[in-house]
Amino acid sequence: MSKVIAVISGKGGVGKTTTTANVGLGIARNGRQCVVVDFDIGQRNLDMILGLENRVVYDMVQVMDEEARLDQALIRSKANSNLYFLPASQTKDKSVLESEKIEKLLKDLRKRFEYVILDAPAGIESGFEHTIEFADEAIIVVNPEVSSIRDSDRAIGILDSKSRKGKEGGEVKKHLIINRVDPGMVERGEMLATDDILEILSVDLLGIVPEDKGVIDASNQGHPVVLDDESEAGAAYRRIAKRLCGERIPLVEPQAKKEGLVGKLKGLFR
Amino acid sequence: MFSWLNKKKKKSAAVAKDRLKIAIMSDRTGHDLPFMEDLKRDIIEVIKKYKEVSNIEIRKVSHQETDAIAIEVELEEHK
Ligand SMILES: Nc1ncnc2c1ncn2[C@@H]1O[C@H](COP(=O)(O)OP(=O)(O)OP(=O)(O)O)[C@@H](O)[C@H]1O
Ligand SMILES: [Mg+2]
Repeated sequence: MSKVIAVISGKGGVGKTTTTANVGLGIARNGRQCVVVDFDIGQRNLDMILGLENRVVYDMVQVMDEEARLDQALIRSKANSNLYFLPASQTKDKSVLESEKIEKLLKDLRKRFEYVILDAPAGIESGFEHTIEFADEAIIVVNPEVSSIRDSDRAIGILDSKSRKGKEGGEVKKHLIINRVDPGMVERGEMLATDDILEILSVDLLGIVPEDKGVIDASNQGHPVVLDDESEAGAAYRRIAKRLCGERIPLVEPQAKKEGLVGKLKGLFR
Repeated sequence: MFSWLNKKKKKSAAVAKDRLKIAIMSDRTGHDLPFMEDLKRDIIEVIKKYKEVSNIEIRKVSHQETDAIAIEVELEEHK
């Protein structure tokens, strides 16, 4: 059975595209057939994060408009042969999306892939609504910060009311990823802790990804951080991917690095 | 190290949590209920028998398929 998972956030820039790339690649590395689709029409980004920008020939809008075949537009990942990528259109805007065409595209993708992961655009407007419309599940990405959490609650409201499943009286299964956690700040009471966020949003927790400089380094190179065995964020994404593949992996709360005396002294002057 | 200096100040994460709860609750709120003011008066009457009320908030909370009323009663200090 295949599933369509929308990656959403409400507020922009919190890590949807990073999550889509790393979780998709993580799932593929677990031996599952997976496709990641860039639904951010007009702001194509996932191609760069995956290091596939030079391979783009056709995009998903051309497939929907039957100007290209699906197998012509799908791009196979260099990092893992189970992962495919379907690019967004860069020249058109979000108004080109139509429900029936999206439904058909997703139906075709379901035939080929076990996991169909959709990278939603920022905001809660029409592009967002089209991304969640036919989703079975949603990954909600938040940063431990007030505007991100507040906006995510509004996105969840729309997910519940405007998705096909929600309208039919069912529910889109929701998973929460807390991204860019700084464990030192949490320890000092300067950043919302996991339990605070869960209490406010009441969504099942899928994983906690620490703030990690390796993420930017990874996007610079088009080589997602999930491939980096040394990276903590990479390890977090590997665990998340395994959970989505049905493995029971305990949740790991990021730990603050123990600072030596020098670090503490530096901290005084920050 | 100098944490004793601002021990009295509430940690900012705790402030964020309180503010978020209220903001999200009001985001989820639909329109006010027509009987809100009457309901407030009645509740104050009941609680007054036991404690003095300083403020009362009633909100309609709509989320997903359910509607609820959230009532928050603030008590007068030490009475
Ligand atoms: N765990 C992390 N540690 C450090 N940096 C991160 C982390 N996650 C994401 N970032 C950085 O945050 C920025 C935004 O990430 P990303 O593009 O994935 O967000 P987005 O939600 O897709 O944005 P948009 O809403 O514009 O599509 C990027 O520069 C990315 O490298
Ligand atoms: Mg993005």
